[in-house]
Amino acid sequence: MISESILQGEKVRLRPVEENDLPHFVGWLADREVTRWLAAMGDPPTLDDEYEWYERRRSDPDSVMWSIETVEGRLAGNVELRLSAQPRRAEIGIAIHDKTLWGQGLGTDAVRLVLAYAFEELELNRVELTTDEANERAIRCYEKCGFVREGLLRQHRFIDGQFGNTLMMSVLREEWAKSQPRAAVRRAV
Amino acid sequence: MIQLAPPSLVGEKVRLRPAREEDMRLLHRWIHTPEVRHWLHASDRPDGTLEEVTRRFWSNWDAVEGRFWIIETAEGRPAGNVRLLGIDPFHLRAELAISIGEPDCFSLGLGTDAIRLVLGYAFEDLGLRRVDLQTDADNARAIRCYEKCGFVREGVLRARRLRYGEPIDMLAMGVLREEWQAGQAS
Repeated sequence: MISESILQGEKVRLRPVEENDLPHFVGWLADREVTRWLAAMGDPPTLDDEYEWYERRRSDPDSVMWSIETVEGRLAGNVELRLSAQPRRAEIGIAIHDKTLWGQGLGTDAVRLVLAYAFEELELNRVELTTDEANERAIRCYEKCGFVREGLLRQHRFIDGQFGNTLMMSVLREEWAKSQPRAAVRRAV
Repeated sequence: MIQLAPPSLVGEKVRLRPAREEDMRLLHRWIHTPEVRHWLHASDRPDGTLEEVTRRFWSNWDAVEGRFWIIETAEGRPAGNVRLLGIDPFHLRAELAISIGEPDCFSLGLGTDAIRLVLGYAFEDLGLRRVDLQTDADNARAIRCYEKCGFVREGVLRARRLRYGEPIDMLAMGVLREEWQAGQAS
């Protein structure tokens, strides 16, 4: 589903994905520099593909999805929490599509907001992700947010004719709670 | 594209055949057998009635690119099931999942034989480059079996699932085509 919650951070605001966002995503996803790090990219999506993606996400109860915008209201990318069929676990996926906004800490701010939502609102135990081992900028961001390296899936991705490894990372509820200065974290039962 | 009927595969100790509607009663009994359920990734998720299990089974197979086989002993007795899930034609990989459903068939080497058949199918027929799996970090018997089949430990996923409400670690393992080929030659 498209989250109805608006999450306000220091650098970004997470808000529901709107149809008006889709042409922007399509434009950005035509750029190989942007899609290089995405998990499963074949050909760049058309606007029709992107509508289909949007409708699928909207009707999927296991997906919680936001658009990321700067505090000035400029669209930057999107972030998704995919709930597992197993209890109390989800996977996070994030992309800053507008590469002129890379390197400014927007992703870090967005991931922190989603983690707070995952652990406080949804009372999850574990949030995990996988990323390209070569995606050093992303890995630095995830580590800043508390993610820990758990292992390396060898030759797990085939990108531009070459095999690459996938890094597995996660952050657990108690690790995240310890990293929060004052927030009273509800104990899950 | 969904293929509900993968080819039957014959090994030394087992025969793998496609699942049929009438196997659902068996699957339902297996996942509710405590010594089997203990190790299932979804051990803590309520399963409901036979009808619900059946509906979920077939709807899962519509949603996921996968192959599902029933494992039969040489005498033709159904003993468990084995699956390839999430077959990814872009990255040339898939995930393997196996469960022996009859406790008196544990430790007979049926799982090892079944996995070898499925890996042969995955690497030779489907042309995949990698097969991975996850298992409970304390499932020593399964891990031994996977290592015999060529799987390598790749990481420990902390508190990845719940068993009886308690978080437990899982082990991630993978086998590459060339590792499997080297194992075939020796």
